[in-house]
Amino acid sequence: MNASGVINPSGAPDAYRPDSLALDIHHETTYGYAQPVAQSHHVAHLKPLQDEAQVLLDFDLTVSPHPDSWRESLDSFGNGCVHFALSQPHRELHVQARSRVRVWDRFALLDAQAGEAWETLRDRMRYVACAPYDPAVQFVQPSPFVPRLEALRGYGLAAFVPQVPTAQAALALMQRIYADFEYRSSSTAVDTPVAQAFAQRSGVCQDLAHVMIGACRMVGVPARYVSGYLLTHAADGSHAMVGADASHAWVQVYAPGTPGLPADGWLDFDPTNNRIPGLEHVRLAVGRDYGDVTPLRGVIRGGGRHTLSVGVTTRRRPGAAALGPVVAS
Amino acid sequence: MTYGSTAHPQASKPLCDLKSNPECELECDTENLSQGLARLSALNGPGKPAVQRALPLDATALPSTGEALLRRAWPAEGGVFDELRQADGRLRSSWARMAQLMPPAFSGVDAAASLDRRLTQVVERIRQDGVTHNVFSETGVAARPWSLELLPMIIEAADWARIERGVAQRAAVLQALLDDVYGPQQVLHEGLLPPALVLRHPGYLRPLQGVAVPGGQRLYILAFDLVRAADGDWWVLAQRTQSPSGLGYVMHNRLVISRQFPDAFRELDVQHLASGFRRLLDTLEARARLVARGQAPRLVFLTSGLYSETYFEHAYLARYLGLPLVEGSDLTVLAEGLYLKTVEGLQPVHGVLRRLDDDFCDPLELRPDSALGVPGLLQVARAGKVVLANALGSAFLESPALMGFLPGIAQRLCGQALELPSVPSWWCGEPAAWADVQRQMDGKLLRSTFPQGGRTSQVHEFSAAAIASDPEAWTLQNQMRFSRAPIWSQAAVQPRPAVVRVYAVADTQGRWHVLPGGMTRVAPREHSSLSMQRGGTSLDTWVLSDAPVDPFSMLPPRLTAADIRQRRSPVSSRTGENLFWMGRYTERTEQQVRLVRCLLQVVDTDNDADSAALLVMSQLATLAGLVPEAVPTLGQSKHLFQRALLAELSRAEGAFSVSFNLHALERTAQALRERLSVEQWGLMRQMGADFATALAGASGQLPGPIRVVAALDQLALQLAAATGAQTDRMTRDHGWRLLTVGRLIERLVGLCARLERFAAEQILASASGVELLLDLFDSAITFRARYQRHDDLMALTELLVIDNANPRALAGVLRRLRTELRKLPGDSAWHDLLLSRLPAEGAGLSLEALDGLDDSQAQGVLRERALQLGTAASALADDISHRYFTLPGGADQAQLV
Repeated sequence: MNASGVINPSGAPDAYRPDSLALDIHHETTYGYAQPVAQSHHVAHLKPLQDEAQVLLDFDLTVSPHPDSWRESLDSFGNGCVHFALSQPHRELHVQARSRVRVWDRFALLDAQAGEAWETLRDRMRYVACAPYDPAVQFVQPSPFVPRLEALRGYGLAAFVPQVPTAQAALALMQRIYADFEYRSSSTAVDTPVAQAFAQRSGVCQDLAHVMIGACRMVGVPARYVSGYLLTHAADGSHAMVGADASHAWVQVYAPGTPGLPADGWLDFDPTNNRIPGLEHVRLAVGRDYGDVTPLRGVIRGGGRHTLSVGVTTRRRPGAAALGPVVAS
Repeated sequence: MTYGSTAHPQASKPLCDLKSNPECELECDTENLSQGLARLSALNGPGKPAVQRALPLDATALPSTGEALLRRAWPAEGGVFDELRQADGRLRSSWARMAQLMPPAFSGVDAAASLDRRLTQVVERIRQDGVTHNVFSETGVAARPWSLELLPMIIEAADWARIERGVAQRAAVLQALLDDVYGPQQVLHEGLLPPALVLRHPGYLRPLQGVAVPGGQRLYILAFDLVRAADGDWWVLAQRTQSPSGLGYVMHNRLVISRQFPDAFRELDVQHLASGFRRLLDTLEARARLVARGQAPRLVFLTSGLYSETYFEHAYLARYLGLPLVEGSDLTVLAEGLYLKTVEGLQPVHGVLRRLDDDFCDPLELRPDSALGVPGLLQVARAGKVVLANALGSAFLESPALMGFLPGIAQRLCGQALELPSVPSWWCGEPAAWADVQRQMDGKLLRSTFPQGGRTSQVHEFSAAAIASDPEAWTLQNQMRFSRAPIWSQAAVQPRPAVVRVYAVADTQGRWHVLPGGMTRVAPREHSSLSMQRGGTSLDTWVLSDAPVDPFSMLPPRLTAADIRQRRSPVSSRTGENLFWMGRYTERTEQQVRLVRCLLQVVDTDNDADSAALLVMSQLATLAGLVPEAVPTLGQSKHLFQRALLAELSRAEGAFSVSFNLHALERTAQALRERLSVEQWGLMRQMGADFATALAGASGQLPGPIRVVAALDQLALQLAAATGAQTDRMTRDHGWRLLTVGRLIERLVGLCARLERFAAEQILASASGVELLLDLFDSAITFRARYQRHDDLMALTELLVIDNANPRALAGVLRRLRTELRKLPGDSAWHDLLLSRLPAEGAGLSLEALDGLDDSQAQGVLRERALQLGTAASALADDISHRYFTLPGGADQAQLV
């Protein structure tokens, strides 16, 4: 499978600074099984999103052994996903995704201090008979990995103070989480409840993202989960980023009308690194929480005990640091 | 029901089976009238009947049955609709006619006794038919007898016409709503339905957004709970869309109650139910035809398993509809197609009538912890390659919060006003509605908007704080006072709050038909729940007709029709496996019974058994699981040995003796209910129950040997009957063959073990040894007839090993085994492989081989032979299990990275 293509790089974004970065990503997952797996079904969310600020130059997903069923589609959030299945016994599963992406800084012109007060947005998300429908309302609802947690309301309200623009409040919330939480790589598992991560004030990027999403939702502001990759070193080479050696996760908060925001109204926040993503973040998929966009999920029959290794490297393309108009590779 | 551990791989089930069914749960209004009424009734007393018994042919001339009913009825309550009486206290016309048609014994002095007798018959019938529902508690699951009242709920033709119209219309509205939500979502865009009721509801399945279903049909069967208000109008209390339960009980209730009142049932023109079932099957089959692409469509009935609340009716309906009863693990997905694992290989499945809730259906994309589903099923559904009835994703329609928005939705999507109103409800997530309703909270129930604890909705204590914290999660509902249906209880006709569940079935033209009947549930008293989990009880529901009754009945004559259907459909691997184990457990129990009897004899008659024989018998007892390993042998202490033997007999758990095997047998039979005749299933349960009763003594005391022997004799008879039924009354399909092979393999294993031990300890040269072994092989009579008292090793070998006419000789067992193995599904190479495990003919031993050997050498040869054959039997069991039963690799596990 090979999806290649920048359709019209020049369609990119007058609204953004002309800076862009071309990145090569290699994401490798290997399962080793003690017993043969007789049959397995998988869903992969491993293909980067495409929009005007992120162009997929090249993409290749390989699975071995060769799956005997393969179906590509878009999920209900618009993410590309692949369903594949293996029905021959196997002792190893190897999934390798290679992406080449060009990223623009979407928020370079952001003015977080302006825009409508968050309470206005909150009230618009409440149901009023026969009022117009904003699809973002689904991201204010609790979801399986981010259930309602009363403690997060107060935590969120410390940032969402009265009559502050949504973006500014969300920024404050991110800073607060960054200050309060310790990033610890093995302190949680993929299914650690948000309540536990919040109570222990530590976790991995996924937990921090869930905490921030939960706090936004508790105050009535839509927020969603972004799964993606992170450049190992900041674009200016100044410092190393946290969470770059695996797939990364951060948050988008709905702040329509904020000056300098893309038309869809979503603004990214990375609470693990305390920054608004610019050129270093590559978006794979968005959803309500981790469960909607798990990079690779599966149900296997058999297998016994297994070993798992996941490796991600994200690099600037050599010699692709040039600014200005982009050329397809 | 407990979770035992046995050799049978299906005996243990994951805990998520312990899911209670939300649909039976209902709460009713709270008042407290019952005590006062009881007192009133006691004061009035049943009264001394002044009337004579009716003459059978002159029912109308009597004050009789109708008066008898009225006289024994508790006074009508104010403010509720009385199903029995009009406002003036006289019987409603339906009940007046009913009373006239009740058997004459109901009038006069015997009325109470007669009604009591019939109620007893109802209970007995339910017990005999094994109608149960599983009740959940903290300690596990227990099967309780189904609870059914004697008197039916009667709905008059005019009432029914209104219900029918309203329910059919509502079903169409729900279908339109479901199509809209998974399609254009107009109701959301136009603000007719709050987005939270869809987008927050776990029953809205995003993976299916925009997915088309075969024939455009998402819903096939729906259930509605109706209540009747004081003014006689009907209201909808709840709607069930995922996999409505109760139809099997509806059928069985009808079977039982119509027989109690045959004249009334006929003369009142009560509408029949069968055509509704036929229609369901027809619609499903027609849609499945669309995906079967020219093949004959194959349908299956997907159950949530042995431990689900309503497993009885899953088996009952599967049998009634003639569909294979399957669990999720019987199905597998290959290349976006759904297949049933059968003993003949994978067979495509095109339609699934399911009784597994949505979220359990696919661990890949829905609940990852579900062990009951089929990984990949959603992908098959998206590819349009299977019909699911009902389609996945309808659970949000069950929310009580939806009720308030349905009128607007009906108007928008169908251009119609809803004919049958919903019980008034207010979703607190709409600030205007919440502000409005909180001014008058009297008579309101607080319900959860979204599912909780496995239930669709739960009633909570009113809490303004809870609502304020998360208003969308709460819905207020008017507390209705339900109508009172009469039941016969404690020598009185008592009024009970009633809810009627009716079912709507779709046809292929997009029309909805309401099954004329349903399940009425009544609460034991005010204040209490209608839940069958908590003491609610059910009534057969009679719908009277103005038009001729549709007499169509699908109920086949017992056994035959079901058997014929069974022959047509392939035997699923799970069924095959259960049959195989039923054969093994039956034989194993039989062998144990024989061994216990021999052991008791050895203990009892202080006979001349030498120490070697005692040791062998002790070893065999341990091998067979009759005594724990640590118990002293017979030679060491007969007394202690016997105590242990007797103690283990009645232990069903933590032991492997007779009770344990009877228990395993019953569980296997339970899993095979859709295949077994009522008698056969009854016998399986009876054996265990009788044995337990026969052994039950004063607490802490062991039953004496005499009582035990009597119990064993009785059990031996029943086992013979069970074996007879298995041999004689079952269709000889692949399933039956597996059962027979299971029995023969078990027999071979058991007999070889006995022969091996006797030969190993060199006691076949002694008279007592020969005597014992002959007993254990059930061959003493033949031996004496042939060889009189020659306790000759050659003669013994001939009869127990070589004589293939003796069904208990090794050669006899092997001969039959070879015959059946050749008929198992598979090609000749496979058959050759199986047969290569066994000697080509006889038992692989000739008498000549023993010529010239001394006793010790001859016993060495016998022992060697027994060991080899025993090993071969075990290997065969493995071969068969691998090929026919197991999906290789065992259970599914979910992974996330």
